[in-house]
Amino acid sequence: MNRWSRRRFLRTGLGATAGALAGSGALGCRSSAGGARVVRISNWPLYIDDRTVPDFQRATGITVQYHEDINDNNEFFAKIAAPLERGQSIDRDVIVLTDWVAGRVIRLGYATPLDPGGFPNRANLITLAQDADFDPGRRYSVPWLFGMVGLGYNPRVTGREITSVSDLFDPAFKGRVTMVTEMRDTLGLVMLGEGRDPARCTADDIRVAADRVKRARESGQIRAFTGNDYTEDLANGNIAVAIAWSGDIQGLHADNPDLVWVAPREGAILFSDNMLIPKSSDRVALAMAWIDWCYAPAHSAQIVSRAGYISAVQGAIPELERIAPALARSPLVNPPASVLAGLRNFRTLSDAEDASFSRIFLDAIGG
Amino acid sequence: MRRTALAPALLVLPGVAWLAAFFVLPLLTLARTSFGAPWWDGYARAVTGYGTVFARSFGFAALATLAALVLAYPLAYVLAFRAGRWRALLLGLVILPFFTTFLVRTFAWKTILNDGGLVVHLLQAVRLVPADGRLLDTAWAVVGGLTYNFLPFMILPIYASLEKIDRRLVEAAQDLFSSPARAFRLVVLPLSVPGVLAGSLLTFIPAAGDFVNAELLGGPNQRMIGSVIQAQFLQGRDYPLAAALSFGLMALIAVGVLAAARLLREEQLA
Repeated sequence: MNRWSRRRFLRTGLGATAGALAGSGALGCRSSAGGARVVRISNWPLYIDDRTVPDFQRATGITVQYHEDINDNNEFFAKIAAPLERGQSIDRDVIVLTDWVAGRVIRLGYATPLDPGGFPNRANLITLAQDADFDPGRRYSVPWLFGMVGLGYNPRVTGREITSVSDLFDPAFKGRVTMVTEMRDTLGLVMLGEGRDPARCTADDIRVAADRVKRARESGQIRAFTGNDYTEDLANGNIAVAIAWSGDIQGLHADNPDLVWVAPREGAILFSDNMLIPKSSDRVALAMAWIDWCYAPAHSAQIVSRAGYISAVQGAIPELERIAPALARSPLVNPPASVLAGLRNFRTLSDAEDASFSRIFLDAIGG
Repeated sequence: MRRTALAPALLVLPGVAWLAAFFVLPLLTLARTSFGAPWWDGYARAVTGYGTVFARSFGFAALATLAALVLAYPLAYVLAFRAGRWRALLLGLVILPFFTTFLVRTFAWKTILNDGGLVVHLLQAVRLVPADGRLLDTAWAVVGGLTYNFLPFMILPIYASLEKIDRRLVEAAQDLFSSPARAFRLVVLPLSVPGVLAGSLLTFIPAAGDFVNAELLGGPNQRMIGSVIQAQFLQGRDYPLAAALSFGLMALIAVGVLAAARLLREEQLA
């Protein structure tokens, strides 16, 4: 997911700068001989509050090097795959990847199994998070946060309520619709609109959904395929309806209380970003300490208070009610049962399927 | 004797080594990447599936080159012949945009051309843009962005070739009762052709392969070959196709450059 990235162009420039600034942490950190307890984490930008890391350091005496250096699943995977394949260190002890890439990392044997002994808070996993098709039994991964892919809209511009995926194709919004460049999110949602199930999709489902997107693109219905940059256009009224990540709209609410995120009546896509321990890590115990810390309900609530996505920790919502009561009632962070019932995962694809579906999708979006 | 033979070899060595390491080797790797199964698979798909995108890329680049030429020639002419003591300052202004990265400047255009922005409102007021129309995510914005970003590459070579012209030739023409317009057409213009061709190449080549302008200022129906290659490498991970498209772009541009070089040589002989 491109959650908070500002598109790949900024990334090439700013990402490189951030990498350089991160310096020692970037790719050259050596564990100091004195046995300093340092855990090195890679996560997406703006995905944590500013208290969790200092609290953890104070309580455990473990130093955290927290890098916000994941901006794009494919790009981050490309960066870590070669060293992990050669058995070299990537100087990270915890990385956070979206479900389908997490699955690829596990399949290729690049992840270390989680140690149940170092993870007493595992008992707090919500039912939804206890299993995943890309990681049966959650042996290698647990969610950092969950998010939903649905529709974001600006009622001032649409002039009406948006309830259905088919609203994306309403000629009244010609040239004022955006979709995202993440294949699973865009095609998954369109598939739901076609009454097809992304959790069981076939090549035919992909082709039908891609074809619908392609026709809409060619007719000028779709203004752009975006990363997170749709948020600006949505906020300033250029865009009427967008395929949108729930946490993005939650984040915009502070300045744009009018904006609405809705799970269409045909259903919405659920995704997870997952913590994994790369096999090159020589500090599994420290990594487990961090993961366990994040699975305490109060700590998870703390993280959600800033990130605006869905916690995978049982008991986080009551804790959130204490520190951010309004947010705890937001359906984007605490979705009602009716929304939860309509959430679907995009099924895990084999590498061959991934390659062929990506080609179909890229052709549909004009790439 | 031996030293004189050795010296030129030593002088070119660093440059040749650099090019071998950072141009030839990557090119060979790219060539190997472009071989799919069967080896021509990527090329076949590049040729059959991407004709429109190639045509659009060269069309946008040609329009931008033409627009840049129309804007640059008079400016370069004034710089070379009429600027007087302002010349250094004006030249400095031409180069000034390079002080900030073109990425940031292109992002700035995104803001300037925004639907709710002043430019769109003004153009709507004079009916150049329909009331519900827009500039961003249109071909206009992409060609405009390309023109803007590559304009200095057109101005500078034209200026250099105009500035070199021996003024006495113009005076001679006028002494022989040529009107200023005729002197320009028969003396100045032909002598500036090398600059025009150099400027056109320096604009057209990078514009044809550019992807930032199309990506930031254009919509999904304005994508250029550069953005397609980028997406196929990073998102589609279809390396043979992406590499074949890169070679296709290179080949088409090389043909164009050779043709232009030939034109230039004939022009100079004439």
